[in-house]
Parts: sequence; structure tokens; C-alpha cells
Amino acid sequence: MKTIGIDAGSLNIKVVVLDDNKITGYSIVPAGDDGTASAKQALENALVLQGDACKTVATGIGVKLLTFVPQQKSITTCLARGVRFLFPSVKLSIDMGAESTTVIKLNDKGRLADWANHDKCASGTGLFLQQMAKLMAMPIAEMSHLSLKAQSRPEITSTCAVFAESEVISYVHRMPPTPMPDIAAGIYYSVVSRVMSLCKRVGIEKDIAVTGGVALNTGLVTILEKEIGTKVMVPEVPQIVAALGAAIIAGENAQKGITQ
Amino acid sequence: MIFAGIDIGSRGTKTVIMKDHEIIASTILDTGPESVKTAYGAMYATLQGTGLQLENVNYTVATGYGRVLVPFANENISEISCHARGINYYYPAVRTILDMGGQDCKAIRCDAEGHVTNFVMNDKCAGGTGRFLEMIADVLGLPLMEIGETALQSQNIIPFNTVCAVFAKSEAIAYLRQGVSRSDIMAGLNEAIAVRCLNLLKKVSIEKEFSITGGIAKNKGMVAKIKEKVGLEPLLAKDPQLIGAIGAALFACENFEGKESEDNGKVQYGYIDGSGEYFITIDLAKCDGCGQCIPVCPYTVFEVTREDGRKPKARVTESTRKRLSYICPGHAVCLKARRSNCRSVCTKDAINLSW
Repeated sequence: MKTIGIDAGSLNIKVVVLDDNKITGYSIVPAGDDGTASAKQALENALVLQGDACKTVATGIGVKLLTFVPQQKSITTCLARGVRFLFPSVKLSIDMGAESTTVIKLNDKGRLADWANHDKCASGTGLFLQQMAKLMAMPIAEMSHLSLKAQSRPEITSTCAVFAESEVISYVHRMPPTPMPDIAAGIYYSVVSRVMSLCKRVGIEKDIAVTGGVALNTGLVTILEKEIGTKVMVPEVPQIVAALGAAIIAGENAQKGITQ
Repeated sequence: MIFAGIDIGSRGTKTVIMKDHEIIASTILDTGPESVKTAYGAMYATLQGTGLQLENVNYTVATGYGRVLVPFANENISEISCHARGINYYYPAVRTILDMGGQDCKAIRCDAEGHVTNFVMNDKCAGGTGRFLEMIADVLGLPLMEIGETALQSQNIIPFNTVCAVFAKSEAIAYLRQGVSRSDIMAGLNEAIAVRCLNLLKKVSIEKEFSITGGIAKNKGMVAKIKEKVGLEPLLAKDPQLIGAIGAALFACENFEGKESEDNGKVQYGYIDGSGEYFITIDLAKCDGCGQCIPVCPYTVFEVTREDGRKPKARVTESTRKRLSYICPGHAVCLKARRSNCRSVCTKDAINLSW
């Protein structure tokens, strides 16, 4: 049976096609101004037609835009299902998106036990990292590699992305200037410290997975591993985990005969 | 007598010169990257046209973020105290102050004398600060001076559910692309910020006599929104941005008069806790600032400073003041262990320990 999951995030729309418990296609499309059109584009890219909408589940912050999908599910449930599918042993999953960070805890059956999230402001999110990379005039991927060479790190004390920006500028212009790799590491530490406080709220338990677009950042994941004290698992395509979870739920719903 | 108050904020430097409790000159300049240069520049600019020189100023109080880097200042006082003191000059009845600055936002409660009784501040986040408005003005392509008027023209307010500057920026861009008018966006953001200010004010409790200070108080759109949310008409000073500097100048005037006698008093550093009283008393009339007490103390409790530009005197360092009982065993025990201590080396007998 073919099912589809759509995750309308704040920056990107992700679509996953699941066929008999195998991912047969996926796509990631920038949300842009017209979320509905972008979602349709994403579905097209994943080579599915809208006629299959009865076996589709939508999730994400922009779920309201996807009026053509009758079934919707909360992002936390979808994340839990998706990460369980990829890594059955996971107890704690950290989803780091563009505008929010969500930490979910799974019980032995792989169901959602507890969660905590931060979506009030840009501090510690993907958008924060994007802004910092822009400030340091380098692509995000380069900043990630650079941070691995850091010898030490400056303390970035500001919580606010706007104030952190001025703090970073002051490190760049210090005499002698703080080396770029160190600044990159400092930025990642500030993000990680935000994530750690969320993790502590639900309780840290092995095994741990990191999902969401920010997980592509090897530099950040390395620092997160150091702080959390254990290796973490990162899926091959970390952005699509919630969409995958939605597709799994679509399958379950179809079996139960739920259409709304 | 000439007194000066200089308020070096995160974005702007405000200077006020006072003579006989009257403001004779004031300036508002941008805070540059070098605080010391900014301080001198602001002071010279303000003195220009008054016929006065820096030497003619009897006493200067510095306040604001950059207050520690004003070489000619006699004293530093926190901007919270200065705002409370400054608004008292115009409106002695004011009890609640909302200070909206370049990088922070504070709610202050004060009494009839302009003394601070309580305050809360937000300096963690740019929401509700001048920086936030600067960013938004930039996105909307409006000069900063026009954003207030623009917001007042709004017909249909766009609700914003975030005060995060980064999120608000992307939300505003999205609305602009959808063809929403700039005045509606600006009004929506002002409303979100006004709600946040209201919450801050509630924490210190709002009294009927209420004032807004800081640069944002000049933004008519924002003031109108705050008035609407708080439900009170704010008492605005002639130039709300200068209030901190005026407060500093008033403190300069008061503290200068009270200085001479203080030089001869006794200063106590320490605290009382469950286990006893721990105070180090320094008799300023006797202390000549020789500094012999510094090397003998193994815990480096003492320092000699030239506080407020007066004679050098011994003091207890700020870092040790609140934990004296944990680091210093007391006069008798210390003397037994090493034969000489602060009290025994002080030829003027100016130091006393209470334990």
C-alpha cells in the first residue's frame, strides 16, 4: 500500500512516499510565499498525484495551508513515529528545525512519552545558524567544517540572535581577532546549550537521535555529542523524519479505516 | 557650580550639563565603537557654545552600558537609578517608569524622592528594544523617524504572534510580499511589543502616574499603542531620551555636596548571616591609602582605589565583600597563623574586623 506524508515546515515542505514500509520517494521544496502551491510542487517532485490524498497525512507548522489534505497529525507524534521507524532503539530524539527545536521522549513501545519545545524565538534554531553563517560570510556547510578545527571557544552569552550577532562581531574585531574556527565553535556551543536545557527537561536517556535540517551540521552534532556525553544517531536525510512519520500514520489510519 | 551627566547607552550617548538645577546644554550622539572616544566627543560637543571647559565641570556622573569607560567621570551610577531620579525632576508624582532603550527594556518603580523601589528588565531578547525597531524599519524601507507616524495611519492591523526580531523580520517580509501595507505591519508589531511591555509593567505593578523614557518614547505610534494597552496616559518629558543623563547630572549635584563629610566617615563592608556579623570597617579619616594591607592579606581582600576622583583609600574588593566569612578566618585566628595581618600592619589603625 502506498501512503504519503507531508511536513509543512516554516522554511521547507517535505514529502515522503512510503510503499509497503519502504521509502520509494521524497522531496524537499522551499515553502516560499504560497505554501499550498509549494506543497503541490513537492508532491509532484516526489512523483505522486493528488488523487492519492485519502492516504495522506499532513503535519508541521504550516499544516493549515494544506487544505487539500483531510488528515492531519501533530508534529511531535509524527516525529516519534518517524524516528522509531529509522532507529527502533531510540529513546530520545532531538528535532532541530528552522524556527523551532523539539525534544521528544519515547517509551518502550515507541510511543510519545514526553516532549519539550522551543519556538518562541530564533535563539538556538536553524534560522539563528543561517544568520550567523551570513554574518561570517560563508556557507553553512563551510562553517560546520571550520568549527571542527577549533582550538578553544569564545563564550557567546547572548540568548537573542540579534544581540549574539553583535557579540560575534566584537569577537571578529578584537585585537588579536578570535580565530574563525573558534567563533564557529562558540556559535554552535550556544545553540547546543539551548538544546541541552530542553533535553534536561524531559530527561536524557540513550539511545539518542538528532533530526531536522540542523542535523546536517556535522560540527554542531560533534559538539552536541561532547556535551550530551554519548554518540548520537543521525538519519541519512534528517529533514524528512516528520514527513516519514506522517506517511506511517497514514498507513495505520488506512488500516483502521480512518479517513478524516 | 556646573554638573554633568553622561549616559552612554548601547546605541546613543546622551549628555546633559546642569547649572543650579537648570539644564543649560544637552546632546544626543551615536555611541561609537570606542567608548572613551565617544565619552570625550560627547562631552566636548555638549560644552560647545556654553563657554565652559571640561575643567569647569565640578562633578560628573556617568551612567548607562558604557559608564565604566568614562575617564573624566567622578562616579558611576546605574541607569535604573538615573532614570528614576531624572523623571522625578519633571514629574515628581510618577511612580512607574517604562524605559525603552536601544538594547533593553525596563519597568521601574520609584518613590516620591525618585528612589528605585523595584524594577524588572529584559535584556535577553531584542523584542521591544530600539534594535528591533531599527531592523524592522530597515525591512520596511522606512527612515527610523517615520515609523511612528506610519503606524498611526494603519487601517487594518496585522496580528503578529512573535516578538522575536528574527522571526518578526521574516514574517514582515512575507506580509510585504502579499501586498500588506507598511503601516498595518508596523502597527501590528507595535501592538505585539506593547503587550510585552504591559507584562513587564505588571510585574512591578502599574500606578496611575506613569511615564515612558528612552528613545522609543519619541515614537508616537508605539506610545499610542502602549497607552491603549496600559489604559493610562503616559506623562512624557520634553525629551524622554535625555532622562537618564538628567538623572545622572542631578546625582552629580547631590553627591558633590555630600562628598566632603563622607571622606571622614567610616565605611563598613560585609554582611550579617545566621552565623554572625562579618564587617570590615575602614575609617576613612585615618586611612592614608598606603596600601600596606594589600600584600599581607593572603586572600587579597583589600585594594586601594581613588574612588570618585578623591584621595586614595583602602577598600574591600567587590568580589570578596559578599563572602568574607568564607575566605577570612577573622583577625585573631589570622594573626596567630602568620604574625602579621591587615590590622597589625596598618600604622594608622584604620582597619577593624568585627569577628
